[in-house]
Amino acid sequence: MLKISNLCARVAGKDILKGVNLEVNAGEVHAIMGPNGSGKSTLAQVLAGREDYEVTGGSVTFEGRDLLALPPEERARAGLFLGFQYPVEIPGVNNVYLLKAALNAKRKAAGEAEVDAYDFLTLIRQKMKYMQMSESFLTRGVNEGFSGGEKKRNEVLQMLVLEPKLAILDETDSGLDIDALKVVSAGVNSLRDPKRAVVLVTHYQRLLDYVVPDQVHVLSGGRILKTGDKSLAQELERRGYDWVLEAQVA
Amino acid sequence: MSPALQTSGQPASAALRSFEAQWRARPADSLSPVREQAMQRFLELGLPTMRDETWRYTNLRSLAAQSFVDAPRMTRGEIEPSASISLLGDTERAATVLMVNGHPALLTADTTINGIEINTIREVSRLDPKFLMRFIEPLSDAEQRRWSLLNTALFVDGLYLKITTQVATPLVILHVATGNGVNDVAYPRVIIDACPGTSATIIEHHVAQGVYTPLSNSNTHIALGSDAQLEHYRVFATGGGATHIDSLDIHQERGSRCKQFTIALGGGLVRATLEGHLSEPNSSLDSYSLLVGHEDRHVDCVNIVTHAARDTRSRQTARAIASDSSRIIFNSKVIVDAGAVHADSQQSSRGLLLSPTAEIDTRPQLEIHADEVKCVHGATTGRLDPDMLFYMLSRGLDRDTAQSLLVYAFLADVLTGMSVPSARTSIENALIAQLPDSQILRKFR
Repeated sequence: MLKISNLCARVAGKDILKGVNLEVNAGEVHAIMGPNGSGKSTLAQVLAGREDYEVTGGSVTFEGRDLLALPPEERARAGLFLGFQYPVEIPGVNNVYLLKAALNAKRKAAGEAEVDAYDFLTLIRQKMKYMQMSESFLTRGVNEGFSGGEKKRNEVLQMLVLEPKLAILDETDSGLDIDALKVVSAGVNSLRDPKRAVVLVTHYQRLLDYVVPDQVHVLSGGRILKTGDKSLAQELERRGYDWVLEAQVA
Repeated sequence: MSPALQTSGQPASAALRSFEAQWRARPADSLSPVREQAMQRFLELGLPTMRDETWRYTNLRSLAAQSFVDAPRMTRGEIEPSASISLLGDTERAATVLMVNGHPALLTADTTINGIEINTIREVSRLDPKFLMRFIEPLSDAEQRRWSLLNTALFVDGLYLKITTQVATPLVILHVATGNGVNDVAYPRVIIDACPGTSATIIEHHVAQGVYTPLSNSNTHIALGSDAQLEHYRVFATGGGATHIDSLDIHQERGSRCKQFTIALGGGLVRATLEGHLSEPNSSLDSYSLLVGHEDRHVDCVNIVTHAARDTRSRQTARAIASDSSRIIFNSKVIVDAGAVHADSQQSSRGLLLSPTAEIDTRPQLEIHADEVKCVHGATTGRLDPDMLFYMLSRGLDRDTAQSLLVYAFLADVLTGMSVPSARTSIENALIAQLPDSQILRKFR
């Protein structure tokens, strides 16, 4: 589904990604872990198409298409979803407007009619209930005045409504208490499907107790240094990252 | 009747000479003494120039070179405001009073509409000139009042509205500007007299019709009696070639509350001045300015709010959006007089630049002569937030939709302040029509 080959990227004149290789197949859940500043969020943003992040080398294909050639909105319509580490507040733009516009953009790209207003509200209410979000959300601006946890729930809500083929969740677990983590994890798990894939970018093994990955990668210094199964995450939790880095130098 | 006119040292401009000629041709009326003083002062001071503090961004040189004549007086039959021209159009059956080039074009039935007594200034001055004088500002040499002096000297007629009860339905004053040639000038004058304890909503909508739009030098005087409440709108929607200079004075007595919306959607050059006078304790003024510039339009807005009594409150909220090579200026000033303890004021102005050649200048000022006051201000200007834009794109919205929604969201602080739903809907409609991708925005209402 997603094939990243030797991807290099630069942010504000500084090389951050220095040759990332990664392949994600349909039905898989991958976790990308790594120390601060290793390039995890940059990778997520580059995949979503952030324009001020300059790709300097390599290639990315998504279902056989050249992902890097697409503007961000077309990547989203093709079925890619980025859950932001820091979801932005957009006062004055209603949550429901954004969700409806997003869903309709996707449907339009797929040649489907716009969603019926009643069906849409029914859908939103059902997903909100699943994410244990309050009704007041419907009338508020996008992420406006939301707590950190509410913002993350909102990211997962958007994901559930849009049903992407590939979801990249950038530290969606950070700043969540244990109850919120369970809700968010349940949301992610509900999307697991032989036709879909999920990439979790995370600092902590905690999330991986609830969303069990097929593969775990360690990203450091702009490269993937090690790949393993879920036991790698547990080992990282126990031993930290240094041993991976040292093994690499050696 | 002509005063011994003196000019200010420099040779009089063509415009000044033409204003003087207009003055000489005016027949005497009961207001002649005050008009004469006003004209004398105006001619002594001359047209404002960019050396004047509140005029430093607005150049009137080409206007000064013109020779002006009175815009034609037209009968109601000659003006056929189409449904689209009227702001509240078909959305609301609000009563509309028509003014053409400053002349009231009233129907015989227009004596009382929804509890508001409607009369012409000419008729009021004939019946009781002394009464009328209280609404003719004490003449002032202040630079921002220069055009008001000229209006006082030269207005021929105008509207006098007396609010005598609590009025639920908005009243629209439709100001139509329509000229015979490029040198026409009109002097619309409106007096709004809100009796104690009353409430009303009045919308002044300035539009143009026909090929030529006269220079409009308009003046509105609002007097709020104790505990009166008024929501007042002035909407400038004349075409790109039009020049509009508007002065609004608000005088507030004890416990009165005024919400004022200044909305500049059109006009080649719009200069809108607001002077708020919180003359008695517990009076409160909320001023909202929504300034939209596109093409090469120029919008210059000056707000001066004076807290002259204790426990007075003012809020100024301005949002400016400039695209193409337009320019928007927002100058706001709060003056707290000695003795106006516990004055509470806020000034917030935000500008949004949508093109590299657009310009926005904002300047909040404070002048405080009292202790124990709470005055805050903030001003920012910038471009569309790239993080917000990327967030929306990453959800699949196309760029035009995302940008339009962000522009629209930027205006939300002003729009949500409008408490009359029909007025808000109408102004949103007019506003949306001026923004890029209006068809997209309509869908999201």
